[in-house]
Amino acid sequence: MIEDYTEGTGTAVVGGTEQRASRSLVALLWPIALVGALLSLIPLWLGDSRVMMGVAILGLTFACYAVGFNLIFGSTGQLFLCVGALAGIGGYGSAILADRVGLPLLLSILLATLASSVFGGLLSWIAVRRSLGVIFTGIITLIFSLVFGNLLLGAAGVTGGDGGFHIQSGAGTFLRQTIPPYYLMLALVIIFLLTHGLLRRSYIGWAFRALRDDEIAAELAGVNVARYRVIAAGIGAAMLGLAGSLFAFTEGTISPTTYGFAQVDVETMVLLAFGGIGTLFGPVLGAVVFTVINELIQDLGQLRLLVYGALIIALFLWVPRGIIPTLGDLIRRRK
Amino acid sequence: MIANLLDGIVLGLQFGLLAGGLTLVYGLGGVLNLAYGQMAVLSAMAVVLSMEAGLAPIPAVAVGLLAGGLLGLLLDLTILRPVYRLQGEARVLLSLLLTLGMAFMVDGFLTWRYPTKALTLRIGGGPVEILGVRMVRGGVVASVITILVLSGLLLFFRKTTLGRAIRSVIEDEQGARLVGIDPQRMLRLILVLTGVLAALVAVTRSLVTPVAVTAGFELTVSALIVTVVGGLGSVGGAILAGILLGIISTFAASSIGTVLSLIILLVAAAVTILIRPSGLLGVKE
Amino acid sequence: MLEVRGLTAGYQGGDVIRDIGFHVDEGEAVMIIGSNGAGKTSLFRAVLGLLQPSSGNVVFQGEGISGLAAQRIARLGISFVPAERHLFPRMTVQDNLALGAYPNRPDPKTMKVVLDLFPRLAERRRQHAGTMSGGEQQMLAVGRALMSEPRLLVLDEPTTGLAPKLAAEAYQALRTLKGSGLTVLVAEQQVPLAMALSDRGYVLENGVISKEGTSAELAKDPDVRRSYLGIA
Repeated sequence: MIEDYTEGTGTAVVGGTEQRASRSLVALLWPIALVGALLSLIPLWLGDSRVMMGVAILGLTFACYAVGFNLIFGSTGQLFLCVGALAGIGGYGSAILADRVGLPLLLSILLATLASSVFGGLLSWIAVRRSLGVIFTGIITLIFSLVFGNLLLGAAGVTGGDGGFHIQSGAGTFLRQTIPPYYLMLALVIIFLLTHGLLRRSYIGWAFRALRDDEIAAELAGVNVARYRVIAAGIGAAMLGLAGSLFAFTEGTISPTTYGFAQVDVETMVLLAFGGIGTLFGPVLGAVVFTVINELIQDLGQLRLLVYGALIIALFLWVPRGIIPTLGDLIRRRK
Repeated sequence: MIANLLDGIVLGLQFGLLAGGLTLVYGLGGVLNLAYGQMAVLSAMAVVLSMEAGLAPIPAVAVGLLAGGLLGLLLDLTILRPVYRLQGEARVLLSLLLTLGMAFMVDGFLTWRYPTKALTLRIGGGPVEILGVRMVRGGVVASVITILVLSGLLLFFRKTTLGRAIRSVIEDEQGARLVGIDPQRMLRLILVLTGVLAALVAVTRSLVTPVAVTAGFELTVSALIVTVVGGLGSVGGAILAGILLGIISTFAASSIGTVLSLIILLVAAAVTILIRPSGLLGVKE
Repeated sequence: MLEVRGLTAGYQGGDVIRDIGFHVDEGEAVMIIGSNGAGKTSLFRAVLGLLQPSSGNVVFQGEGISGLAAQRIARLGISFVPAERHLFPRMTVQDNLALGAYPNRPDPKTMKVVLDLFPRLAERRRQHAGTMSGGEQQMLAVGRALMSEPRLLVLDEPTTGLAPKLAAEAYQALRTLKGSGLTVLVAEQQVPLAMALSDRGYVLENGVISKEGTSAELAKDPDVRRSYLGIA
């Protein structure tokens, strides 16, 4: 039922498959509509529990993060280990602009998203200029994450530091209710999926694939590798920032751990790898599965990490390309 | 000023030894071991448990070192088997992912089972005076041990046949095979060695500050950053970078405060990597 | 001493060498000649454990060695000098040579023999291998191979990238070594040099042995003369 919209990836660990995107817009729209419709049913089931809806909203947020990361890493092979930080720039940025500076809510969110986008693009540009490979890009962005995390702690006057930032703006609106934020994040997921899907069909998407598979060949074919890398990072980071800021306002309280490397990056990467890096619906599948898993192992306390580690090992040993590509292969083999 | 310098060197040597183990495994086997911090912590816990079981400190430390070596061997025999089937970047990525999973598993288990344990070793006697500065005895002893170990390693790699054989695998794996050296065996040896080194770092660090059961990831990240700044595959680079970053860290901390100094350290590391991605003493590709 | 039968090997694209059979007797020098792409390098790699053959066997001094890993074969008394040399660039000439004797410590007498054979290496004992010229590196590669006192020395295109004078010097050294009892197997594109050294030879074309014979016989063969000696 889930269409096999798979792309190849740049890493050898996670192999690639032939791209089979059809030109028809409807072929893109109806699966997304289907997924959206299915997910919109969730509140019917969980809507009574604020806690459970919170879990669901978090799950959708991670789906958003994963689409953004997918765009940056899956499409153009840039290993950005700063998903949390970029989302945090959106989250803390908009919170600070709204609460401390007093800007209107919408403007704060817009500006913060822009800031995320700029930082993402900047990191990408630096990586391109210094010809950093996958590993070094990862390390530089990891350092960026750590610096950001420490900045949040250090500038406690503005950010509330360790204790957290209790956001006043948006209180009393639909943003803090139980069910409406869910539909807000769901709308975001759908928009992001559409964006990703449309990009893939466009020249930009072709350019992404070309440069990910063979940089030199792409340059020779006329693709300005630097520009498209930065574009991918800019768009992906914007997604992260937007999701991060909307999440902040629906939660009401954020702290450094809301956007920490351990909490956000690891989870995002693992769930995307599970769903299938480079695929369209990988982020959603991964987010759903991992939200469920996290709920199931909630009571294990610290042992959750152990389960997590075991999952990671199992994942990369047996299903390294993720569920969707692997399923796609199995189906193809049966035919 | 001198106090900061000396403190920085004490800290830096620890960084260096830790990073040295990580970079050695990378240079030799193209494997990035993200469970390295956990290996150190597990060894530290082995020491703690031994002491609680009644062993005197020195035999307990020996148990810890042994545990470290065994962990290295275990890593080679289990998790790294599928990694060895790959080459180049694919190998690095898979090793990174699998050892990360391993790190989570160990971290999760340890923090669940022994949430409050930490290793602390005390050296009797008051402060020691060096160059007119009163230094904590534990730190001085830790540094002396580290320097001795590093010198020993240097001698080993330069002067012994086995040491040269290991270096040759880093230089040219194919060439090493041609003279009868088995790269797999050398890698196994190095993994055991770095396991012992990880244990040693945990032990010497505990002379200065308690090594908590939660310290795993922090140690790994520090080691990783120092490794990259020093140059992947270069032990000398790791030590140099370690000392440099240790000094910067101490100076910054004393004048500005921990959080900001940490930021400065991280930024300094990032700048170094950007200016010279191959690292301070690394090989330019 | 070395006997190869029915050896077939290749890479993912397909077999590069097919049903190769040849032998090298003790004290001989044998050459394998052929143009680029004929399969000489793949042949050596298959014989010496760097490439797994799909069929055939290799026997060295009565013992089967096909399928053994390269480092095991290296310890049996065969030293291989590949075209790419694979020296240890950041280690000194001294260290490179010393490692040739692995797992033993280098025998000072052997070291002296090697340095006498290649005086230029003696001059540069402490120089890093990576900083030396092509000719010097070739000498070092051969020297390293000799440090284990092999019974059989295998060389793949030892004159690659060498100026004619150096190439001639290299073969002069090989002649000296053969004179003291070393068995030599060499793959070469520069046929005249190899011919002067070798007792017998095989011609490899498109992955199969097309001709064999003594050097004298091959030197008179019209096809060989045309294709490899440049004589119409």
